[in-house]
Amino acid sequence: MSKHRHTEPPSELVLRVKALESLLVEKGLVDPAALDVLIDTYENKVGPRNGARVVARAWTDPAYKARLLSDASDAIAEFGFTGRQGEDMVVLENTAKVHNLTVCTLCSCYPWPVLGLPPVWYKSAPYRSRAVRDPRAVLREFGLELPEDVEIRVWDSTAELRYLVLPERPAGTEQLGEEALAALVTRDAMIGVAKVAGPA
Amino acid sequence: MPVLTATDAPALLRKGGSARVDADIPARFAPGDRVVVRNLNPRGHTRAPRYVRCKAGVIDRDHGVFIFPDTHAHGQGKNPQHVYSVRFSARDVWGDEAAPRDALYVDLWDDYLAPA
Amino acid sequence: MNGVHDLGGMDGHGPIAYEVDEPVFHAEWERRVFAMTIAMGFYGAWNIDSSRHARERTPAAEYLSSSYYEIWLGGLERLLDESGLLPRAETEARIAALRAQAG
Repeated sequence: MSKHRHTEPPSELVLRVKALESLLVEKGLVDPAALDVLIDTYENKVGPRNGARVVARAWTDPAYKARLLSDASDAIAEFGFTGRQGEDMVVLENTAKVHNLTVCTLCSCYPWPVLGLPPVWYKSAPYRSRAVRDPRAVLREFGLELPEDVEIRVWDSTAELRYLVLPERPAGTEQLGEEALAALVTRDAMIGVAKVAGPA
Repeated sequence: MPVLTATDAPALLRKGGSARVDADIPARFAPGDRVVVRNLNPRGHTRAPRYVRCKAGVIDRDHGVFIFPDTHAHGQGKNPQHVYSVRFSARDVWGDEAAPRDALYVDLWDDYLAPA
Repeated sequence: MNGVHDLGGMDGHGPIAYEVDEPVFHAEWERRVFAMTIAMGFYGAWNIDSSRHARERTPAAEYLSSSYYEIWLGGLERLLDESGLLPRAETEARIAALRAQAG
């Protein structure tokens, strides 16, 4: 007798993952409650709002900015944004003359404590292959055209240093406080594929 | 190490696991030195991307001493050594079609480098 | 290794596909793969460099046609098998059993 299916059978991937988790749990190698905490941390608790706060602080507090540029790990730790894939931080300042862009050509290295987990495009072959080779075309695809006299620096995270771009503060934001400034800062600007837009 | 529990997870995530090694290892290079990436083609793990092999650059900064992944990945020890940010001009890596002012910064271990 | 993961400067991979308001995970199985990989990383049977190398050893054509977390899944299966913690035969047997159950 065959079962009447109301839904599609689970995909091969779903079966593989179910198989793996059931075996790891049975063998006492993973605790499912711990898995849930890991997921919750990176799905809900850690994300680019962290980096945005660091950027807004740097824009409004010159002493903080100096600390951030000389010892990024310690300065970022002042906010409590520490840990896995962000133990050794470097902050790169964008100016009118220098534009920094970050990539991990070999895999997907990314500063998790300040930006959360990377977007799919950052981890995929098109960005990883082209960011180092033709950054201007890549930025154009993101809608950012930089003048020829701007020096573009592409940083490939080949080691365990994790890079955060400190984007330029947009014009017309002099009256804004830290919280309002942080709300303007996008993840893309902290990777270096965008600039921060001023208030609407 | 014991199995990760829900209680321990948050603190362990916040602590992370830095690859930095507290060892007094001399650096072979200093900022400003001109270096060339050696023609290494290991069959195992490496973090020297092919696009910079045999290319010349300048040491921009010394990040300090870290675990060496080429040996660590294969259970052959941490082999701690300096990691440098090496600046390459885009034209030196890709040729004259690259923008003249643009540069690539790649983090490279001491063992990957030779004096230029 | 001179693997296809070493993508810097390669041509032919096409335009960057940008998803607006992209979720952190696109499916439940991705969440589980992410979490199991991190948890097993803490277990200590291997280090992060070995785990990267396990992903790099995905056969080239498979690497280029797999999604990000598919590569993580394959890497984790490879590490578990090679460390002896979970031989492939056991995993395969369980997959077959689950497939039979699902009808």
